Amino acid sequence: MMPTHNINLFPTRRDENWKYSDLRSSLNQISKGIESINEPFFTLPDGLTTEEVGCECASLKNISSVLAENYCHKAWKIDVPESFESDQPLVISNLNCGHSQIIININKGGRLSLVEYHESQSNSFINTNIIINIMDKGELDRIIFHDDTHETVRISSAIINSESDTRITQNAISFGGALSRIETIITANGENLNATINGAYLLSESRHCDMTSNIDLLKPNCYIRQLVKGVVKDKSNGVFQGKFHVHRPAQFTDAEMRHDALMLSDTSKIRSKPELEIYADDVACAHGNTIGQLDEDVLFYLRQRSIPLSEAEAMLTEAFVSDVFYSLKDNHLKENILTKIRGRL
Amino acid sequence: MLKINNLFANVDNGNKQIIHDLSLHIPAGEVHAVMGPNGAGKSTLSYVLTGKPGYEVTAGDVLLSGESLLDLSPEERASKGMFLSFQYPIEIPGVPTMTFLKTALNAQRRANGLDEMGAPEFLKKSRALAADLKIKPEMLKRPLNVGFSGGEKKRMEIFQMMMLEPDFILMDETDSGLDVDALRIVAEGVNKLREPKRGILIITHYQRLLDYIVPDKVHVLSDGRIAASGDAEFAKKLEAEGYDAYA
Repeated sequence: MMPTHNINLFPTRRDENWKYSDLRSSLNQISKGIESINEPFFTLPDGLTTEEVGCECASLKNISSVLAENYCHKAWKIDVPESFESDQPLVISNLNCGHSQIIININKGGRLSLVEYHESQSNSFINTNIIINIMDKGELDRIIFHDDTHETVRISSAIINSESDTRITQNAISFGGALSRIETIITANGENLNATINGAYLLSESRHCDMTSNIDLLKPNCYIRQLVKGVVKDKSNGVFQGKFHVHRPAQFTDAEMRHDALMLSDTSKIRSKPELEIYADDVACAHGNTIGQLDEDVLFYLRQRSIPLSEAEAMLTEAFVSDVFYSLKDNHLKENILTKIRGRL
Repeated sequence: MLKINNLFANVDNGNKQIIHDLSLHIPAGEVHAVMGPNGAGKSTLSYVLTGKPGYEVTAGDVLLSGESLLDLSPEERASKGMFLSFQYPIEIPGVPTMTFLKTALNAQRRANGLDEMGAPEFLKKSRALAADLKIKPEMLKRPLNVGFSGGEKKRMEIFQMMMLEPDFILMDETDSGLDVDALRIVAEGVNKLREPKRGILIITHYQRLLDYIVPDKVHVLSDGRIAASGDAEFAKKLEAEGYDAYA
């Protein structure tokens, strides 16, 4: 069957940013969602509302934005008022087929807890483009669940712009899909951003997950910690691309990037591309990247205590992954994540 | 209880023959000690008996209560009652001690057709035994052995041994890294486990531990086989004279 969509909008592996995730080829198996709009469900904390507005292209360099603008005639906008605070999160779900754009403005001193469920039961294509603008002293806590079938193709891209004295924590968990990508693009336009960007992926069968982030620091005194852990087995593919771009005025940046992966089979693959681009001269920036296997001596120790091999492997894998979420304050969400992880081990 | 018959074993894909024609019988209710110089094959023997991957048996047999262990996986041997107290207990970051122990105990119970032990009973049992061994309750919440001192790790091995109540206990250099007080606590723990139905094999360099856990028999392991055997007094003779006569 010939595709009806404009295939040229979708990147190939010749696009450096999509070198390890072949989006165009992956669409061959997709039956729906490539040209349609996706209506998300919002569970709003008291005091917030959604408004339908026109769709915008946040960045021509961002494929998710380009696709959203091309296929969506509207976007959903949420304004978080000044000094807003709530113990209820904003929950976004029903992201299961087609394109959508969501715009969130966190006004001065506002604090938002955002939980996103990206879940599909079919061989659909989903593109979720989220634009978040954080004004001075604003705070964002973001949790992302990616739980799809092995046939789903999904891009979820967040473009986050922050002003001064802002705080971002992000925790993502993905079980991959035929192709699944979590993109986080942060631009610190103001001083003193404090960001923790964590993620974990657990992949089996022939699933593919790509965690890509790009953090642009334009002003001084930003503090960034990134930790991504991956586990691949069977014929699955894990991709990590992380970039810190420290511009000349961004003095006193303190940024660390880590990606640690566990390969549980000979046929799985990990591709990792950490990048630091630094123009300021008084900064501390580091990146670390490891790939390894479960320790045979540790496995033997557990087995010597009657624990069957598969259970011992699951126990050690859980221990490896779960420390990504160690700092998560919401115990209910933490337990929710750990339960999902255990279900996949 | 444990019968080792004409055992030959190698490691490193057959490149190193470590155990040559080793035979040993430890009846139920007895404590035996195997002593020997460095490189005699003492640790290899403990790994061969417990089925560590990479250790290959080329001839002979090992029987526990009449059943051959050699075709069984490490976890099956453990469930049948083989317990190894490790010379170097492993640190496992991210796995709380209590979680590990409860998983182990219930895996063993499942393998033996028993119901899993519920949380209240488990807590009661573990707290009582931990107190006996002077293990602080907060240690049990920490990841297994992470940041523990040498003595604490060895006490944790004895604690696991008391929780799992194995039929046969193998102790590999349990006294190394222990001060006198810790040695006494560990030995008291082991002595409590001396029962008519249980066999114990202590592997050690030095006679010191045997002052606290008095063995029924002492064997010298040299060049992969039992070179000589005797009673508890024999260990003192070995300590005084060294192993040269048996090399």
